Amino acid sequence: MTPDPKFDAMLADREVVVCVGCGGAGKTTVAAALALEAARRGRKALVLTIDPARRLADAMGVESLGNRPQEISRESLDALGVPGAGNLSAMMLDMKRTFDDLVERFAESDEIRDRVFENSIYQHVSNALAGTVEYSAMEKVFEMHESGAFDLIVVDTPPAQHALDFLEAPQRLLEFLDSRLVKMLIHPAFKAGRFGFRLFHRATQRVLHVLERITGIGFLEDLSEFLIAFDAMSVGFRDRAHRVRSLLLGPRSTFVLVSGPGQISARHATDFLDRLEGYGVSLAGVLVNRVRLWPSQGPPPADEPRRTADVEALRDALWAGEGADYPAELAAEAAADAATRYAAWVRADARSAQPLRERIEAQGCFWGCIPELERDVHDLSSLGCVADRIAGKDEEP
Amino acid sequence: MAADDQRSLLEHRLVIVTGKGGTGKTTVSAALALAAARAGLRTLVAEVGPDEQIPRLLNPRAPEAGYAGCAILPGLRAMRIDPFEALAEYLGLQLGVPAIVDAVVRNSAFRQLMTAAPGWRELITLGKIWHLAQLESEAPPGRQFDFIVVDAPATGHGVAFLDVPRVVVSAVRTGPLHAHAERVEQMLEDSDHTLVLPVALAEELPAREIAELTGRVRDEMGISIDRVIVNAVVGPPFPAEISDLDEVLARLDGNLALGALPPPRVLTRCARYLRSRHELNRRFTAEIQHSTGLPIVELPRIPDGIQGPDQISSLASALLASPVFLE
Repeated sequence: MTPDPKFDAMLADREVVVCVGCGGAGKTTVAAALALEAARRGRKALVLTIDPARRLADAMGVESLGNRPQEISRESLDALGVPGAGNLSAMMLDMKRTFDDLVERFAESDEIRDRVFENSIYQHVSNALAGTVEYSAMEKVFEMHESGAFDLIVVDTPPAQHALDFLEAPQRLLEFLDSRLVKMLIHPAFKAGRFGFRLFHRATQRVLHVLERITGIGFLEDLSEFLIAFDAMSVGFRDRAHRVRSLLLGPRSTFVLVSGPGQISARHATDFLDRLEGYGVSLAGVLVNRVRLWPSQGPPPADEPRRTADVEALRDALWAGEGADYPAELAAEAAADAATRYAAWVRADARSAQPLRERIEAQGCFWGCIPELERDVHDLSSLGCVADRIAGKDEEP
Repeated sequence: MAADDQRSLLEHRLVIVTGKGGTGKTTVSAALALAAARAGLRTLVAEVGPDEQIPRLLNPRAPEAGYAGCAILPGLRAMRIDPFEALAEYLGLQLGVPAIVDAVVRNSAFRQLMTAAPGWRELITLGKIWHLAQLESEAPPGRQFDFIVVDAPATGHGVAFLDVPRVVVSAVRTGPLHAHAERVEQMLEDSDHTLVLPVALAEELPAREIAELTGRVRDEMGISIDRVIVNAVVGPPFPAEISDLDEVLARLDGNLALGALPPPRVLTRCARYLRSRHELNRRFTAEIQHSTGLPIVELPRIPDGIQGPDQISSLASALLASPVFLE
């Protein structure tokens, strides 16, 4: 991207940068490259990823287990141009562990903790419990921020079906625990075997009846057991969820929307922006990843019929360089075709991003295009190339 | 080498298209549905995600299909399975009394519970698919299908999606829910009936994901999977005798004026880009084949992206090609 003071300010001042966007845009790579760039600017940066992209993880020295930040070696940092003041760590979220840790922390007694862990519902669904990935990720960000070990935490958010699941997750979990239905399920009368019918709201009774009819009473009893244990932890949980939210929506944090090139990505990104605005989230800017840019000043040439004389000039240059045996006629046509093909890609990428770009720039946020690399990003040196391109230190051939 | 003993995609009854976001899963679902309808099968294509894309990909004048669905081309219907609507339908079938169903679905405590409750969206969605795939004697006229394509949620979610019946069968030990989950599980495991069709890009991360996905679907869940669709493949960019064209161009004077053609410096970058994408695609296609042990169907990259029916139509026939083990 073209250097932008708003981008520089983000990397210099913010404490949490949350990368959001749809799956497939390369959010994990961009998050890691942003953390690397911050480290190059002398900050102690951590990238927290959810995506188990193993080779990137291996290259960064992040193991899937452990759930703890791992520092990139000084030797690697030197090679990447990170000054002595800066450093870079990476960690991969182990969701189940994070959630188990929370239960450990907030369970009032060992008995409650064990009851949660042994509950068949917790065992089977703690991985699937709506919002647990999102909640665990945000919980981890908060824990790392509290630890004071990092100046900047870059978060790679999980691909969410609904754009901002991870912001809503803690609240939803709490609302769920507070809901009348759950209160009823955790009432001692329920455990005693029958619902204390007179005690409860009629509509809620009816819902419970329906649930019982569909799921069977055994399931509801297990669910009740799980919720009773969970409810005992909800005070600590509640306070924590509130603080996580304040951090993410407060002035120390900002959001970056990562999008891919192409029409469909641009449409998803636009939807995403609408929702972010609805939340009053502070958006720093948009990074469009893997954009094809024309490798020269200005836009690609218009798609006009080729002039024979131009192709012949190229053919002659190829003959002069490679000798009379070289199939220069074929090569000159192929080279011109390659330029036409590539130019079409470049134009399509620019066209599809234009409305989004106008909107973002009108809002005073940064807009950056990250040119597509000619190879895949799977190690620290290629990650360094992405960081170069984000920072506008693009190399010419 | 062609893989023998392969059945055609169209010889199944239910094909669940899955893959990471951005791989073109939805495009492949649309193309497969189109291919089936053209082959004379009464076809349904169902989307599962929050937004609806397929009807307009296939027919720019198509209305919103929604849960009720609509005919978008002769012999081809589309729908979007919304879990809450599927739940209301299911409760209607179970309870029979519309007033009660209505009261339950609109009850705020119930909605709160369902918003937070895990797994039911996947289960009810698969339950609806099971219902749609029942023998035609049980389906109302105009809703009988020979072939059903499901555009599953992006991987991660996609695998969890298929795993839910199994989890429910073991977590809920008895009762109607247990029985329903078991029926859905049986449908998924019936290899004559159901096929999971993974879509991948021939790039590092998607290639790795697809190996994990096929491993889990085939080996842990026991669901049939017999090929990988590798999408958006950039073919050889230059004729074989000049396959190193970018290197040759790089040896020219970079700023040589070529009239309206870009100078060699720029031509080199264009040629290098095409060649490197091609080589990358080839390398990771081989890796996908190696790590999954499955034959491949390649779909070409469409330069301007998918704009509508014309591109979908060209993909539809490529999709039905016999999968091959590449050399």
